[in-house]
Amino acid sequence: MKVMRLMLYAAFGLCLVLVLAPIVVIIGISFSPVDGFVFPPAGLSLRWYRSFLESERLWGSFLFSFRTALLVAFVSLVLGTLAALALARRSGVTAAAMQALFVAPMVFPAIILGLAVLLFVRVLGAPLWGGLIVAHVLIGTPYCFRMVSGSLQAFDSSLEEAGQSLGAGPFRTFYYVIVPLIWPGMLAGALFAFIVSFGENNAALFLTAPGYSTMPIELLGYLQFPGNQLIVAAASTVQVGLIVVFILVMERLVGLARIVHGDRNG
Amino acid sequence: MSTPAPPASFLHHLSGFVLYLFVVSFLEPSQVELYEKHLTISNYGRVIADEFYLAIIGRSLLATVIVLIISLFLAYPAAVVIARFEPKWRFRVLAILLFPLMVSNVVRAYGWISILGRRGVANTIMLDLGIIDAPLSLLYSFSAVVVGLLTILLPYMIISIANALAAISRSYTEAAQSLGAGPWRTFWHVTLPLSSPGVASGCMIVFFLSLSAYVTISLLGGPRFKMLVSLVFDTVVTFQWPRAAALSFVLLLLALFGGAVILAITRPGRVRGRRA
Repeated sequence: MKVMRLMLYAAFGLCLVLVLAPIVVIIGISFSPVDGFVFPPAGLSLRWYRSFLESERLWGSFLFSFRTALLVAFVSLVLGTLAALALARRSGVTAAAMQALFVAPMVFPAIILGLAVLLFVRVLGAPLWGGLIVAHVLIGTPYCFRMVSGSLQAFDSSLEEAGQSLGAGPFRTFYYVIVPLIWPGMLAGALFAFIVSFGENNAALFLTAPGYSTMPIELLGYLQFPGNQLIVAAASTVQVGLIVVFILVMERLVGLARIVHGDRNG
Repeated sequence: MSTPAPPASFLHHLSGFVLYLFVVSFLEPSQVELYEKHLTISNYGRVIADEFYLAIIGRSLLATVIVLIISLFLAYPAAVVIARFEPKWRFRVLAILLFPLMVSNVVRAYGWISILGRRGVANTIMLDLGIIDAPLSLLYSFSAVVVGLLTILLPYMIISIANALAAISRSYTEAAQSLGAGPWRTFWHVTLPLSSPGVASGCMIVFFLSLSAYVTISLLGGPRFKMLVSLVFDTVVTFQWPRAAALSFVLLLLALFGGAVILAITRPGRVRGRRA
């Protein structure tokens, strides 16, 4: 059995290396003082971070992504909370089917979603940015839905009934009883939606244009042409840092258990 | 809950958009408009009749199946290890595996470019240590795409199976062992069937996303390396809307077919009363 155990741990170790290696390497080379990777490393420098901040194209797309993700997180939170309030405590076939339908966008090929939304945008003559928001909201809402559903299932519904028996209407009950109890789930869901929108690059392929381009799409543009790529490493490391901070905040809000159960599709 | 079901939150659902795309896939292409309003099945006929398309579809399926099999055989043992950890550590390890999923696919593909490229980490170190004399070309190949897809999708498989394994009550395996089953028999007849919901959902996520991972495929396969999803992309950027729609539905159909095969093999319905 000792060999068996060893093999299990070898597979576990290999998985961790395969999954984390690309990110570790990017973080490492982003601090390179020279243009390219040399071994052993020639020292540490922040010059690529400076180029990133000074690059109108990349820094501009970072700000654009940030604004887009903020709006997406807000809209996803509203829609996901409404859906969770409607469905979380229902059981039965219809509720299960509606829940399945509602989380479907998490595994649906995002590039096809992007194409479908693009066609809609073209037919309606709507702005492309609107299409991007719609597509990202579609992808982001299920995360909010799951997080808020989890919070709703966790609290005692007699509190809500108490509120209502004391004469509070549905809106007052929501504001004074439900929100104070579920806000950590709401905020964690919104952060999840923010991260997903911020890193999404398949639906965004068709829904961006020069000047309205998200950071992943700009990075893709940089990588498709040869030349200086370490600025991409710096921009990527900034994204990774942002995600780490968000996960730490989410851990404080709802705990790691809910985060790793609540996700299906990053 | 007294809150009325808010239909507004469902109005924006993706099914409407997808239905519209389905209709477009049966319309004739047009030079000036998005499409002509004449019904036709020629968009699909062209895909099925064209050997070039069929070869690419075959290659996409091959890559996806390879990625699926390798990820299953790597992820299952890793998930066994993780499921045995204390809950606190299990969640920490799963969070470490979840975090790369949130990082953009572009960034993770770039990581592999900087490892495997001609002036990348692997070549530089091997040259420096004298293992090789000239840089190897490791990028822009079928295997580079498989490695990229594998590492991007592996966490889904591990998290899915580890959660399923952790949900299995110890009393089941103890019962099997007290009835005289050895570790292999216990695994084969008790643990593996009980983990099938996790295996099924992990496999389906990996299958769907590997078929549609355009960015990974184009960055690690190079501009001339085509898969089904690259054809969707190419037809969109050349404004062939109906054909792009038809190719999208070919892709979705393959995904559904793959999902059905996965369900038929893993039979997660055997496990009742528990959530994967």
